[in-house]
Amino acid sequence: MKKNGVKMIKINSKNVDVFYGKKQALFNINLDIEENQVTALIGPSGCGKSTFLRCLNRMNDVIDICRVKGQIIINDFDINDKSCDVVRLREKIGMVFQKPNPFPKTIYENISYGPTIHGMAQSKNEMDEIVETSLKKAALWEEVKDRLHEPGTGLSGGQQQRLCIARAISVKPEVILMDEPCSALDPIATAQIEELIDELKKDHTIIIVTHSMAQAARVSQNTGFFHLGELIEHGSTDKIFKNPENKKTQDYITGRFG
Amino acid sequence: MFIFIVLLGFTSYYFGRRKAYTIQSTNKRLTALPQFYGYYLAIWCAIPAFIIFSLWAIFEPTIVKLLILSDYSNQGYLDDELNLIYEKTKALSRGQFTGEITPFIEASAEKYLSLRSIAQSSKAVIVLSIIIASVAYAYKKISSNSRTREPVEKFLKAVLFTASLAAILTTVGIVFSLIFQTIDFFKVIPLFDFVFGTHWYPAKAFVRDSSEALDPTMYSDTFGAVPIFAGTFFIAFIAMCVAIPIGLMSGIYLAEYASVKVRQYAKPLIEILAGIPTVVYGFFAALTVGPFLKEIGNSMGLDVSAESALAAGGVMGIMIIPFISSLSDDVITSVPQSLRDGSYAMGATKSETIKKVIFPAALPGIVGSILLGVSRAIGETMIVVMASGLAANLTLNPLESTSTITAQIVVILIGDQAFGDPKTQAAFALGMSLFLVTLCLNIVALRVVKKYREKYE
Repeated sequence: MKKNGVKMIKINSKNVDVFYGKKQALFNINLDIEENQVTALIGPSGCGKSTFLRCLNRMNDVIDICRVKGQIIINDFDINDKSCDVVRLREKIGMVFQKPNPFPKTIYENISYGPTIHGMAQSKNEMDEIVETSLKKAALWEEVKDRLHEPGTGLSGGQQQRLCIARAISVKPEVILMDEPCSALDPIATAQIEELIDELKKDHTIIIVTHSMAQAARVSQNTGFFHLGELIEHGSTDKIFKNPENKKTQDYITGRFG
Repeated sequence: MFIFIVLLGFTSYYFGRRKAYTIQSTNKRLTALPQFYGYYLAIWCAIPAFIIFSLWAIFEPTIVKLLILSDYSNQGYLDDELNLIYEKTKALSRGQFTGEITPFIEASAEKYLSLRSIAQSSKAVIVLSIIIASVAYAYKKISSNSRTREPVEKFLKAVLFTASLAAILTTVGIVFSLIFQTIDFFKVIPLFDFVFGTHWYPAKAFVRDSSEALDPTMYSDTFGAVPIFAGTFFIAFIAMCVAIPIGLMSGIYLAEYASVKVRQYAKPLIEILAGIPTVVYGFFAALTVGPFLKEIGNSMGLDVSAESALAAGGVMGIMIIPFISSLSDDVITSVPQSLRDGSYAMGATKSETIKKVIFPAALPGIVGSILLGVSRAIGETMIVVMASGLAANLTLNPLESTSTITAQIVVILIGDQAFGDPKTQAAFALGMSLFLVTLCLNIVALRVVKKYREKYE
């Protein structure tokens, strides 16, 4: 998406360092994320791509020993600033995890969870509508519309993951972070999710961490390559995959290590 | 003698192993490690000795008695008289006989002593010879290709099996003794009176002289268990009112809010509460809490008995706190982190996450821990005996004294008691009903906990 021919930058991170205790996990990350595009973060295990993703909605706060330095600017606002309200931030930036983690509640309650805590629905009808649109957007509505009040944990793995995506979009976030959303799924469920991601980028900015380079190539417009806590190279997916500047990137993409 | 056999066992172990080494040194492959040959021999030493000893212990007295009484067999004594003579003989031989000593009995006593000494020495000889024979047999049997590992393993299995069998049989035995006494009790007291009677006054049964004939009508309105059941559940209820909120909240704090360091110290500290003997809680309740409540009540113009259900229940609640807090801490900690992450990522605060996600997910486990707490409360004895009084009032006033099943069992069984008396049997009936109640609670609790476990594995 372009506005006046200029790509809109949604998230702008400057000099981000992350420490786990004394160990530094991320070194001086500068990465801009374009609006309404899919950005893939790739790299070998332990390279810090998930850590960076978790910086974007301050999920690293949950980990006691984790410290984040640097600026992450979303909508002209530094989320690492003390005045940042984490609850509002996470309302705007949803997240989907590696393993499907539906709450042990009904499908309906799983979706209505976010809107309820953010007071987004004034009436039962409104809530019904939110649940329906979220499930439709997540391409799950047809499969579950007759059993909304059955437990969400009873769905298949792929359905559970789409339920989690529906849950994330129920609060209409501007950005959706996905942490290896397909790594626990079979190829068919993966294909469904990928299709869904493509659909979702119309309304949301998506950042996806993935181990599968094929997946990164399929779904993303931009790619960032992480290695040992550093952002080695980033740019359009086409360029990274066809014509990488850095030798490490090339080695990784051609499968020479990782 | 016993020590000697043990020594013999060790020696045979040593010999067995040595023979195995000798076989090994002649370049033959053994079928088992040398130790097994040693164990094999030691078992061959111990088992025959054990069998002979037990057979001897069973049959020796009978045989001796037969031999002694054979002297009197054709003099026309009755069985009872013969028994008496035998007892006199035994007493005399121990030098404890105080009655008139007849020459007959003196002769028998001498015979008894000589028989005993013959028996002792023959026992020693027989046991030793059998041990030596069996060890020698086993020793000869050992060769490079004889099987020693399997018999040894089988023996160990048999020993372990016997141990577990003993535990199970004891339980079954206890249950059966409860059942039979309870049935006897209900032969005298109708079940209906016991379950629905509202008057519990077992002291009435003290009045009866045991030589009098049993008259069931005398006990009508004596063993009505309603007041003590009510008291039991009432005190348990008070205890849970204290234990559930405090235990649960401290469990949630420990699992969700406390830093690693606080948790490291706080959890063992709370668990120390569980290690305090209930007697200590008991006198804490009786001597500190009870009078304190009475004073407060009096200053407010309430009539509070020094031994009140409130004091007992409250202290009992404190006793149960560690169970609930530590169990609910465990179940909350075992709720997967991914659920927490999911909730936080939706922008939920910590308390929202706990209330809406973690608590419902952990609820079955928490219910299980509460039920276990309740069954502790119902089975608790010492605190109630010391702090809540022994009068079985049927009341719902927490400031009055009430009594519980366990306390009544204590009252009934302290001091002299006669078997076959309805008063004593009442204790068994109470014990039986208590057992049934806690059994049901435990079964329900364990099932709930199990169901919860399945969910996340």
